[in-house]
Amino acid sequence: MIEEPYRWVEAIANRREYIETQLAPGSPIAALSCRDGILFVTIGRARQKLFEIYDRIAMGAIGHPGDIERLRMAAIELASTEGFTRSAADVSLRRLAFYSLSPVLKSAFEQVYGAPYLARMIFAEVGSKPADDLFLRVEYDGAISASGAVADVQPPRFSAIGGTARGTELMEELLRRDHDPNCTLKTGLKVALDAWSVGSLAAQEEGVREMPPQEVLRQRRAEALRGATIEAGLLERAGTSAIRYRRITDAEVQGLTSG
Amino acid sequence: MTSDSLGDAAFDFPALLRRHGLLNEAGLSPTSNLPADATRFTPTQATTILAFKFTGGVLVAGDRRATAGNTVVYDRADKVLEIDRHSIMAIAGVPATAWEMARVLEHSLQFFRRTQLQEMSVDGKVRALSKLLRDNFGFVIQGIGVVVPIFATYDFSDDGQARLYFYDAMGAQFEVTDYAATGSGSPAVRGVLFYENRWGKKPLHKLSEQDAVTVALRALDTAAEADTATGGVDRTGRIFPIMKIISRDGIKTLPDKQIAARFKATVA
Repeated sequence: MIEEPYRWVEAIANRREYIETQLAPGSPIAALSCRDGILFVTIGRARQKLFEIYDRIAMGAIGHPGDIERLRMAAIELASTEGFTRSAADVSLRRLAFYSLSPVLKSAFEQVYGAPYLARMIFAEVGSKPADDLFLRVEYDGAISASGAVADVQPPRFSAIGGTARGTELMEELLRRDHDPNCTLKTGLKVALDAWSVGSLAAQEEGVREMPPQEVLRQRRAEALRGATIEAGLLERAGTSAIRYRRITDAEVQGLTSG
Repeated sequence: MTSDSLGDAAFDFPALLRRHGLLNEAGLSPTSNLPADATRFTPTQATTILAFKFTGGVLVAGDRRATAGNTVVYDRADKVLEIDRHSIMAIAGVPATAWEMARVLEHSLQFFRRTQLQEMSVDGKVRALSKLLRDNFGFVIQGIGVVVPIFATYDFSDDGQARLYFYDAMGAQFEVTDYAATGSGSPAVRGVLFYENRWGKKPLHKLSEQDAVTVALRALDTAAEADTATGGVDRTGRIFPIMKIISRDGIKTLPDKQIAARFKATVA
């Protein structure tokens, strides 16, 4: 049936719809530059969703754990082999995403007899100052975007993924409005949690379409935190060690969110 | 992309490198079909290293000399290599092989931590180095790639303690309680450390950081006295041994200034 071009397009459209349905309930993830580095934030129940890829690269992903795992392993293998044969300075997120991950995702997505990857990811690479930070959003079909970038404007120092397209858009809208790349960790975490809340509200049934007031965001966060915890990670900007990623411990999160 | 079959040791970094043709097969070297006497090549050698436990953790020290036969090749070699936040591999033997081995080990531990989302156990790290030495045995029997390292790390299990190991060229690991030394100057170093540990003012594990630096400097200077392959302290060039300390907080590299001051006050 898919020998006919029309059928192929239809099959792809069905597959896109299927994947979007599968991804919709995923807990949103926000990543943003702050003075100390790049902060990744999400709220979840049990499964870890933020991962270290290499010395200066980390990822956050929503989707099927098996698929995320395969992509995560592939990214770590590629980065580690490159870092070993050449040097850590030769490992670049841009190359990893555009030349390695994207083609594989695209062909898996378009070969309608095989299974696609059920995953939507944010990758970030920390630079020596916020202006050097790089954020890439990588989709299940291999599409890559620097979140919310508008032509002729320097790319924003943040990225966000929600379960739904509207969720992602609203998260970006909020981050464009509230985020300052030179903020402290505390402020960054607060803004990221607001972004999470709006992404999560948009993904609910009868989800919000327009930016809700601050009060509603705070309510959504409080409600979510009754049954789940904040997961956060930081790619440190300065450090004596080459390895920059660290998990932000629960105690530290508590300190940053109180008061 | 990764294999989907279970049981494939996806977290084994050396195996990954071999799959990509980036590392020799275990036990083989590129010239392994040559008869042993065909090699008249004299490899560069790095010499004396030592490590001992003291009140502040483990001190690992190495002189700076690299030689090839009677020739001094380099006087600023770094033989004390950081593998991760709490582990050091110090090398005596052929640096070409040793540095590569350290590189593989460093990447293996990081690869394991990143893929498995947990730190490798101390036993696992010790075994990983042992396996690399064993894989290198092809070079050893040709007499051109012998490496005899010391491995020191901090073990966070139980109450936490510093751990210290030395290896032979085939990869057997020996854990020591007090001190270890390998390389051409090691007989003299072992003599000094044995003496200090038994009859010194305090046993090694009770020394302060300052006194530990003194003992390490004296031991290396003693080794250099009789062994031309050991650099000891270069008094005219002001080249001092490299010293690093592993404790619960991580690895600290002692600044040259501190070592120089200690050298002037207690050794020179």
